[in-house]
Amino acid sequence: MGVSLPLAGVLQPIEDVLTAILEWLHSDIGLTWAWAIVVLTLVVRLLILPLTLKQIRSMQALQVHAPELKALQQKYKHDKQRLNEEVMKFYKENKVNPAASCLPILPQIPIFISLFYVLRDFEKEVFPDYPQSDLGFLNELIPNITDKISDHWSGYLLLAIYVGSQVTSTLLMSTTVDKKQRILFVILPFVFIPFVLRFPTGLMMYWVTSNLWTTGQGVITRRLMPRTEPVAVKKTSRTPPKDAADEEADGDAGDGAKPKKPSPKPAGSTKPTQARKQPPPRSGAQPGGAPAVRRRKKRNPRTGR
Amino acid sequence: MKPSRAAASLGIGVVQAYRHTLGPLAMGRCKYHPTCSQYAIDAMREQGLVRGAVLAGWRLLRCNPWSHGGVDYARDQRLFPLGRRRSA
Repeated sequence: MGVSLPLAGVLQPIEDVLTAILEWLHSDIGLTWAWAIVVLTLVVRLLILPLTLKQIRSMQALQVHAPELKALQQKYKHDKQRLNEEVMKFYKENKVNPAASCLPILPQIPIFISLFYVLRDFEKEVFPDYPQSDLGFLNELIPNITDKISDHWSGYLLLAIYVGSQVTSTLLMSTTVDKKQRILFVILPFVFIPFVLRFPTGLMMYWVTSNLWTTGQGVITRRLMPRTEPVAVKKTSRTPPKDAADEEADGDAGDGAKPKKPSPKPAGSTKPTQARKQPPPRSGAQPGGAPAVRRRKKRNPRTGR
Repeated sequence: MKPSRAAASLGIGVVQAYRHTLGPLAMGRCKYHPTCSQYAIDAMREQGLVRGAVLAGWRLLRCNPWSHGGVDYARDQRLFPLGRRRSA
C-alpha cells in the first residue's frame, strides 16, 4: 500500500473503509467503479448536509443585519484587522455567524488523501479481485479512472470542469466580501493545475462531484434567499403589515443592503437586546430602513393596486 | 535555538504548509478572528509545541457549526497560566 509517507500508515484504516465502501457499491449494488466514486461522494455530502443547512440558515439570518455590516465595512475599510475583529464581535453579539467553521474540514482532509492512495494503488490492490470489472466512465469517455489526469484528453476535460466548479462553488459559498480574497479564489484552481495533473482521474471525479454539489447547493440557496422579499410581498397583497416588528424574521433580507428608503418607523426592526454593543451605524444605513420597502405597490400583482 | 523552540518552529512549519496548500480551499470559513491556523501559529509561538497544539486543538473544536465565533487571540487563552509564556 502507499508507503511513500509515514502518513500512509496512519491513514490505513480510512483507506480500508473507503475501499470496503467502494467494493460494496461495486459488487453488491452493481455500480461501475466510477459510479461508485460518484455515489461515495454523494453519500459524504449527504452526511454533512445538516451542517450545510445550518450554515445556509445562518447566511439567511445574516441578511437582516446587512446594513449594520455594511456600516462596519465603511467605518473600518482602511483597517482590515480591525474590521475582522469588529465583524466577528458583531456576529457573536447577534448570535449569527455565516462562516462554515473549521472543524468540519478536519475529517475531510484525511478522507481526501486516503482516497488518493486508494485510487493510486487501485490496479494493484483492488482490481485483481475483480478482473472483469470496468474502470471506465460513460462509455469509455474516461477510459480508466486510475490513470493520471494527464494521461487522456478526458482528464483535461475533467480538469476544466474542476476549475470552473471550484471557482463557482467557492464564490457561492464563501462569506467574505474582501475583494483580494475573492480574486484569490478565482486564481487558486489554476495554481493547483500542475499538481492536480498527477492525480488519479477518479480522485478528480470525487472532487468535481463534490464541487458540483456545492454549486447546486449555492444556486438553490441564492434562490431561497429573498432578494426582493417574496414572503413579505405575499402578505402585502391582502393586509399590509401595520407593525414592522411583527415580521422581523422574514423582514428586511436582501433589501437591507440598499436602504434607500428610510423607514417612517424604525422601532422594532432590530432587537435592542441583540444589538447591545454594536457601534452606531453610519448615515444612510439605519437599521430600520428596509421594512418600509415592503409596501411598494408595484409588487402587488394580485390586487392590481 | 533551544530545542523546545525548534519543536515549536516545526509545528508552526506544519501549519504554514497547510496554509499554503490546502488552506486556501478552506479560506473564509473560520468563525473566529484570528483564524484557527493563525491562532495555532500564535499559540505555538507563545506556549511551545505541545501546549500550543493543545490550544489549537481546543480552538478547532470550538470552531464548529454551532458556535458563534468571535474575537479570540492566543494570548488571551486561560488554559495555561500566563507565567509560562515564552516569547516576548
